[in-house]
Amino acid sequence: MSNPKKPHVTVMRSQLSRARGLGSGQAGVGHWWAERASAVALVPLSGWFVIQVFRLAGASQPEVAKWGARPFNTTMMLSLVILTFYHTQLGLQVIIDDYVHGKAHLPAGLLMKGIVFLLGLFGAVSVLKLALAGSSRSTIAAG
Amino acid sequence: MVEFRLPKNSTVGKGRIFTAAPGASNVKNFRIYRWSPDDDSNPVVDTYEIDLDKIGPMVLDALIHIKNDVDSTLTFRRSCREGICGSCAMNIAGENTLACLKPIRDIEGDVAIYPLPHMPVIKDLVPDLDGAYAQLRSIDPWLKSDTAPPPDSERRQSIEERAELDGMWECILCFCCSTSCPSYWWNGDRYLGPATLLAAYRWIADSRDEHAGDRLDALEDPLKLYACRTIMNCTQTCPKGLNPAKAIGRIKELQLERKA
Repeated sequence: MSNPKKPHVTVMRSQLSRARGLGSGQAGVGHWWAERASAVALVPLSGWFVIQVFRLAGASQPEVAKWGARPFNTTMMLSLVILTFYHTQLGLQVIIDDYVHGKAHLPAGLLMKGIVFLLGLFGAVSVLKLALAGSSRSTIAAG
Repeated sequence: MVEFRLPKNSTVGKGRIFTAAPGASNVKNFRIYRWSPDDDSNPVVDTYEIDLDKIGPMVLDALIHIKNDVDSTLTFRRSCREGICGSCAMNIAGENTLACLKPIRDIEGDVAIYPLPHMPVIKDLVPDLDGAYAQLRSIDPWLKSDTAPPPDSERRQSIEERAELDGMWECILCFCCSTSCPSYWWNGDRYLGPATLLAAYRWIADSRDEHAGDRLDALEDPLKLYACRTIMNCTQTCPKGLNPAKAIGRIKELQLERKA
């Protein structure tokens, strides 16, 4: 019936139909802007963090706990942790968009977001633990 | 997943060697990608030893010499031979450019010539650009205006408005930029590519066009526009010295501006 040498054509959809595809997803601006805004915000936060790490080098556990209990430091640390992992998620999404195609795209993105979310939450809980433990200890010390 | 290796039937083999005539003094090797759909075999790279004293200064001169005098089966596109038609776009010494504008003397050692990267090959140096042309068509690259033109004259624009189009109207649609872009290689089915986005911005920026909003709507997509990762290969490779990356950046700025 058919010529065995002739390849079977599975796509006869016009090039224009393929180029138009499903149209515009009406998204992308938010992701693009959030990536840049979070990157800019992380510059001073990271700088501050590096300075604090040097200042706390060799400090004792109670000294670090006291440092972590200050509301300003807690605020800065939480901002740093949240923005770092938010930015990580945005960046990894770009890599997945570029390199993972087809059916694996959605689960890969979900898995990545789940892992990054848990890591970020772990960081935030650690900062809060330091903050709250530090304050309770200082209360006991004061009492 | 992205293909990081060539498919088996695209692995390039060694081809024939066409030696220069005895007595040739100024010989340069041209290593040229060859593939024909009729042969049912993998692509090869043929080597042509060419006497530069016998030909003009550009890579296209060498290709035309090979086709006329050495091997008439070599297939490539060319037309104007002066950088305005965009037909002879190909990958020369690792860079997408126009064979007619690329001086042979600028290339050290052998001259490697391949078709534009990551496009289907029709034959030898002729890529299939149908998809890229359809993408260009998809952004409606023509003036869209609801206001009727003056009955007795053309649509007018100020000197300043006209200047907005400089650096864009010069594009000859050779697609050197799009085919140099890794984002276009990985996601060319959805990412429009720098050539088409430059054309899109050319109409968004045109003071006579009244559909900038529709045009921005059509581009607001995670891949159609935002698959651009600012790699800048497009700007580096453009044989006309244009800056598609800047045009894409302007579209992104406008997308943000209209959200605020």
